[in-house]
Amino acid sequence: MNTKPDDETLALWLDDELEGDAFSSVEAWAAGQPDQLAARQAIREWRGTMSAAIPKAEEPPYPEFFNSRVLAAIADLEKAPPQVIDARVSWWRSAWFMPTAAAAGMALAFWMGTRTSAVVAPPSVVEVTSASPVVYTPETGVRADYFASRNADATVIVLDGVPAISDALDFRETAAVTPERDADSTASHDGNPTSEVTQ
Amino acid sequence: MNKDRPDPSKLLTGPSEPVESRAGAEPDDDAVFVKRAQSGDLRAYDELVIRHRGRIFAMVRNMIHHEADAWDLSQDVFVKAWQALPRFEAKARFSTWLFRIAHNVVYDWTRKRKIDSAGEFNDEIFDRDQIDPMASTAPAENESPDQSMEHGELRVKIQAALFKLSPEHRESVVLKDVQGLSYKEIADAMGCSIGTVMSRLFYARQKLQALLKDEYETR
Repeated sequence: MNTKPDDETLALWLDDELEGDAFSSVEAWAAGQPDQLAARQAIREWRGTMSAAIPKAEEPPYPEFFNSRVLAAIADLEKAPPQVIDARVSWWRSAWFMPTAAAAGMALAFWMGTRTSAVVAPPSVVEVTSASPVVYTPETGVRADYFASRNADATVIVLDGVPAISDALDFRETAAVTPERDADSTASHDGNPTSEVTQ
Repeated sequence: MNKDRPDPSKLLTGPSEPVESRAGAEPDDDAVFVKRAQSGDLRAYDELVIRHRGRIFAMVRNMIHHEADAWDLSQDVFVKAWQALPRFEAKARFSTWLFRIAHNVVYDWTRKRKIDSAGEFNDEIFDRDQIDPMASTAPAENESPDQSMEHGELRVKIQAALFKLSPEHRESVVLKDVQGLSYKEIADAMGCSIGTVMSRLFYARQKLQALLKDEYETR
């Protein structure tokens, strides 16, 4: 063979790893390639230097103790009770669970997003008043009126009969602080209030 | 662990076939001992450890250059090999399979050391500049005093240069030029392609020869 071998074959030849027909054909090509022959010789010398300087095998210190430690570790492993896998927790450790849960979570979030956007649309006064609102009061005898304003896009609830709130009450501990909204001072009472009285 | 295996504590004291070979022997008949070890014969496995501990210890020590850690890690290699032995199918040589386990043990250990050192890559894990020519380990091959001194000095220089290589380059040189593995065996041990091994070895040798230029040219 007088054609140059591919790089992988040449590398194998340079490191004396080729055998049989492959070796013969590359050897025939290399006969006319003094630089390749020199390169192979250099690699042979390099390997000789390395193997002479750095031993292939070194007995570890205290070799008998080395073996006894290996055997003791193996004996400990064999004596250890088999690990019982709790069926209740093993299912969520399985490989398919996390991707499935993530996909389901994304689908749920998407669905909730579509539902939320439908709710965001401001209801008209008619819709509010025509609905049957449920007014919650903590005590009996408390009158609740609510006023809806289309212009202000707001609803005001008035509770009558609630005891005065003590100044000592610390709202910070009981109430969540919501972001401030721009107050609309133009909101007005446009008509008779719709009222519910709880018993 | 393989539940088909007998109690190892009994095997340690029980009757066994005679053990003939020792450390440094050519492991041509590893297959016999492997088969016995796979059936739970801990004495056969002990023989395999005796045969291969020298090469595994040398390989690990050349990778991390810390004798005490290399001693511990080499034991881990053989314990993990015992655990994985039922899955060994003898498609490769037993020694190549051990080198593969040693590769994983060394890299796991290095990764853990990196995490322990707050995520900073510390190449001194592999280096340390703690080359100790007076280490208690002794080469398995006997040399004359002159040869030993000459090789000892050269060894220190080569090892100092080795630890300036990346771990991947160092391992490829150690497995090829020290351990004498083939490209295919190195690829199996390092878990990469033959082409990658060739590339790593080419650049590793070039860099190593550049680092040892003075020493290399006077020889």
